[in-house]
Amino acid sequence: MSTKVITLAEAVRRYTWDGMQYASGAALPVGSDAIAFGRELLRQKRRDLHAVFHANTQQLNLLAAAGAVARAECGFSGLEGFGFANGLRRAVEQGRLVLEDYSNLGMTLRLLGGALNWPFVPATVNIGSDLQDRRAFEPGIHPNRNKIPAVTDPFSGRQIGAFSPLRPDLAAIHVTLADSDGNAIMLGTEWSRFELSRAAKRVVLLADALVHTDCMRQYPNLVRIPGIIVEAVVYWPFAAWPQASPGMYDVDEAHMQDMNRALGSEEGAAAYVRDYVDSYADLDGYLERIGAGKRAELSNGATAFLLDPYRRWLLPHAEAQALSTGGDA
Amino acid sequence: MSSAYSRQEMMAIATGREIRDGELAIFGVGLSMLAGYFAQACHAPGVRAMTEGGVYGATPVGGLPWGIECNRLAVNAVSFTSALDALGCLVASGRCDVGIIGAAQVDRFGNVNTTGIWDGPIGESYRPPKTRLTGAGGANDIACGAKRYLIMVSHEPKRFVDRVTYISSPGYLDGGDARERVGFVGGGPSAIITTLGILRPDPQSREFQLDAYFPFSGVDEILANTGWNLQVSAGVRVVPEPTLQELAALRRVDQKGMLRR
Repeated sequence: MSTKVITLAEAVRRYTWDGMQYASGAALPVGSDAIAFGRELLRQKRRDLHAVFHANTQQLNLLAAAGAVARAECGFSGLEGFGFANGLRRAVEQGRLVLEDYSNLGMTLRLLGGALNWPFVPATVNIGSDLQDRRAFEPGIHPNRNKIPAVTDPFSGRQIGAFSPLRPDLAAIHVTLADSDGNAIMLGTEWSRFELSRAAKRVVLLADALVHTDCMRQYPNLVRIPGIIVEAVVYWPFAAWPQASPGMYDVDEAHMQDMNRALGSEEGAAAYVRDYVDSYADLDGYLERIGAGKRAELSNGATAFLLDPYRRWLLPHAEAQALSTGGDA
Repeated sequence: MSSAYSRQEMMAIATGREIRDGELAIFGVGLSMLAGYFAQACHAPGVRAMTEGGVYGATPVGGLPWGIECNRLAVNAVSFTSALDALGCLVASGRCDVGIIGAAQVDRFGNVNTTGIWDGPIGESYRPPKTRLTGAGGANDIACGAKRYLIMVSHEPKRFVDRVTYISSPGYLDGGDARERVGFVGGGPSAIITTLGILRPDPQSREFQLDAYFPFSGVDEILANTGWNLQVSAGVRVVPEPTLQELAALRRVDQKGMLRR
């Protein structure tokens, strides 16, 4: 049977490079994000990244704190109920990372523009504010008219804005369930994963669980990312940890807080990388690092029923792991 | 008659009172969500609440959600869609009746800064802030597209400034018809609800004026905590205290007592 399932280490070796435009999905600050992919980017010492994140996540917070990101584009740049993103803000305040601001709809529309290969997307939001007038990537011009230039609506004659489309080199996208061909089901909000999966030049999925393709044939309407646009699948339970994955696990509140506190200083960030990035050898080591007790607690949340329709098709851990090719995990 | 309540609880209840039954409403994380779901639990059971992730038909379970996409909301949603749907089709389109946003700084025309705090004006060349904040998020989209929106902010002089350093979410810009000249789909901020009272825009100048103060506050305290020469409306009044029913509804939503700390 042909399979697109590869190890996380192989996915990062094969599809990433220094200086690339890297996007992650869902890029939600508390819910889904492909955080494990970012840990592996650090393990392989990728640097000078241009990060495209719909919203900040613990992944961008970590990559920024560790000095791996030179430029980033975001809508929201905090951690919602967990406060400011200390790693990201420290990098921005120190001038080590240039952060370009849009709104959350602005980022989605730019991804949609990339997906459709449109020359620009009409902007009726972000105009008339400093999101339009200030351009961090071109700081010397004010008011800047190269970021969201004014265009004329040909029908009404009124002035609106033009968003530039996004076409990232790679999107690492967290999904709840995938089959070995890259068909995927997401539980919870998609946020912008549909648009991102079509906008990126390449797509790698990080799946919390693998399922038989029969699952996709039972619920084809729910397969919003089909395998035909996916390069590779990585099987990685708790891929979004310490963030949440609806149906799978809750947010790890204590780790969210501890991690953000650590990323607020140079020494703290180094200790975090030592303890939670460089400390494990493979997937099982990663899961041990979270701890069996903590995993059981987080998996036992109130949304667990969302997974019920799919349980009969879940591949057991050993079987899912055995599908991975590409050497070292 | 009311039992004891905190300033933050009064702010949440005053904000919730602005939400009418049946409205299509979008709430952000934190205080905004508390005020919105308070309205739903109290006087607006038919409010059509959503978050910007496209999480529909949900009410929080197990405490205030950590985020707009938190499992505490995902647990009883009837539909999950996307940001394009919620912020685009339902908000930027002009369909949404009311939104609630927060602010680090707000100015006399209701412009909101949530991007950063600079040491003085930014100047001609853009530079990183001394303190980087959370960015615009979905608040800019709500400010541009919602029919009206409410701003919730703690009433302190450093937050109530004559002119925000950076406009993350547009209010009435320079006042007058400045907002109309940009051509936004939405109508702009209808009220600023603070820990001390309620400000509303003058219909012509669009400058915010003091409309009402809370029972524990007063005109002088509010003027002393506002960084511009705040005008007091001729009909300035005291906001009614929370009723026991309102407090009970709020505390059902605020299970963990976030507003009582």
